[in-house]
Amino acid sequence: MDKKIGVAELYSEYANKAKANLNNSYNYVIDDDENKLFIEQSQQRYASGDNLSLDGIPLGIKDLFCTKGIKTSASSKILSNFIPQYESFVTKQLLNSGSIFIGKNNCDEFAMGSSNETSHFGPVINPWRSKTSPDDDLVPGGSSGGSAAAVAEGSCVASMGTDTGGSIRQPASLCGIVGLKPTFGSCSRWGIVAFASSLDQAGPLTNCVEDAGHILNAINKHDFNDTTSSNHKREDYVSEIHEKMEGKIKIGIPSDYLIDVNQDILNQIENTKKVLSKHEIEFIDVKFTTTDFALSTYYIIAPAEASSNLARYDGIRFGVREDGESLDDIYLNSRTQGFGDEVTRRILIGTYVLSAGYYDAYYRQAQKVRRLIKDDFQRVFNEVDFILTPTTPNEAFKIGDKLDPISMYKNDIYTVPTSLAGLPGISIPSGLSSNGLPLGIQLIGNYFKEKQLLQLAALAEKELAFNE
Amino acid sequence: MSDIDIKRISYLAKLKLPLEKETFYANSLKDIIKWVDNLKEIDTSDVKPLHNVTESTESIRADEIKKDNSVDDVLNNAPERANNFFKVPKVVE
Repeated sequence: MDKKIGVAELYSEYANKAKANLNNSYNYVIDDDENKLFIEQSQQRYASGDNLSLDGIPLGIKDLFCTKGIKTSASSKILSNFIPQYESFVTKQLLNSGSIFIGKNNCDEFAMGSSNETSHFGPVINPWRSKTSPDDDLVPGGSSGGSAAAVAEGSCVASMGTDTGGSIRQPASLCGIVGLKPTFGSCSRWGIVAFASSLDQAGPLTNCVEDAGHILNAINKHDFNDTTSSNHKREDYVSEIHEKMEGKIKIGIPSDYLIDVNQDILNQIENTKKVLSKHEIEFIDVKFTTTDFALSTYYIIAPAEASSNLARYDGIRFGVREDGESLDDIYLNSRTQGFGDEVTRRILIGTYVLSAGYYDAYYRQAQKVRRLIKDDFQRVFNEVDFILTPTTPNEAFKIGDKLDPISMYKNDIYTVPTSLAGLPGISIPSGLSSNGLPLGIQLIGNYFKEKQLLQLAALAEKELAFNE
Repeated sequence: MSDIDIKRISYLAKLKLPLEKETFYANSLKDIIKWVDNLKEIDTSDVKPLHNVTESTESIRADEIKKDNSVDDVLNNAPERANNFFKVPKVVE
């Protein structure tokens, strides 16, 4: 059924839901007055017929993107008063495409976490409830947990997240929505609060694959301000998204990913295989030799880069300053009181692996193993066009259930290898667990093959019919 | 693996851990370092470290001055300012 709706009406429908979720999936909801002009301009463009690609679409923005004049906290105490004087490249492209920002989504502090529980502003509650314990509040995943929950609860049409080791795909999976991490270097990191610069990548969380394509069309551009921004040729990621893919498609399923996996997760892979097999798609068993080392590599490289990136928070130029008698006391007090436990832990890990005497054994060794992981993927991509894996090893769990950091880190076992290799990956909802909670599958493509990856994901989405 | 000198590491990181938290972080760090120690099993003597996954070359742009920020804009986020400067306690006696 088609229904015509004005920009203002659409906006208030979502904004009202967002306001109800302030201090949950949102750290900050933008005042209606501040958006009034954007709404009017958007409506005028529709009236005159020259509307933009995302005109009037209400979006949630992870509180890690600098938004000009709008609080940007990275869900950290140390940035809780920070108002950027500039707009991040990615959010600028979204504004230039006519979209309207609803607010800033809660996330793990500095994007460090897999459950959104490390946020200074408190956890985010997943809108899904399990059949067996419906009273339990569940995590939405992380670190883009607020962005994922916001789309799932319907307080924005789509949202922006960032993914360093799985922070878009893992929460998308736990919230039953689509999450795309583009190839590293596709979307500029300029203006995104930095976590691990060789891994961070922006991407959309959406209700469907086509929406992810629309957002990718808007944000996937070269930017001189990001030295790792790629010069590759950008494509139209939407116009042919539902067209039949050329040639016989081969998808690899890594057998080493499916050892000790629970039946619910195995069912997602089996079912995806079944529904796609009728489309001239061939499934091939593949095996990686580096999977066992991916998490270790990640938990050296990411904290090392984080410890360097977070050195800028000193209480002098921006952010919260704590009192101190000397300059050094200000540094120490501002940093010690400004960072939460997980961020402190990662700064310490990073400092340790970069310190004299340990640099070669840990950091340099991890960078070498990272090359082996990349080569491992390229070997597999010589045999297949795509790789199919689960997105997560489990469904959404109860808030407060995973206190041990290593068991939390293991949530990203399927997403971290792709991140280390810099490859594009998308999570789409594939079915429900026996507990009635959403689960996702991850499709991985070769470098800059987002167009084909989205075509395959759209086909899988249609066949899996999760939203029906 | 030798013991982790948590005081030294936190000093390098410009953090002042409260005493009661030192043991907490020291143990946590020890567990994680032990967990990532499996990388030592791999022979990487012939492998070059990977810094940039796409190994693309950086783009060069014209060396032209762009004025995107005003001094006031930048200083608006400073916890303390004096005129056009960031303000800190006296450093030189």
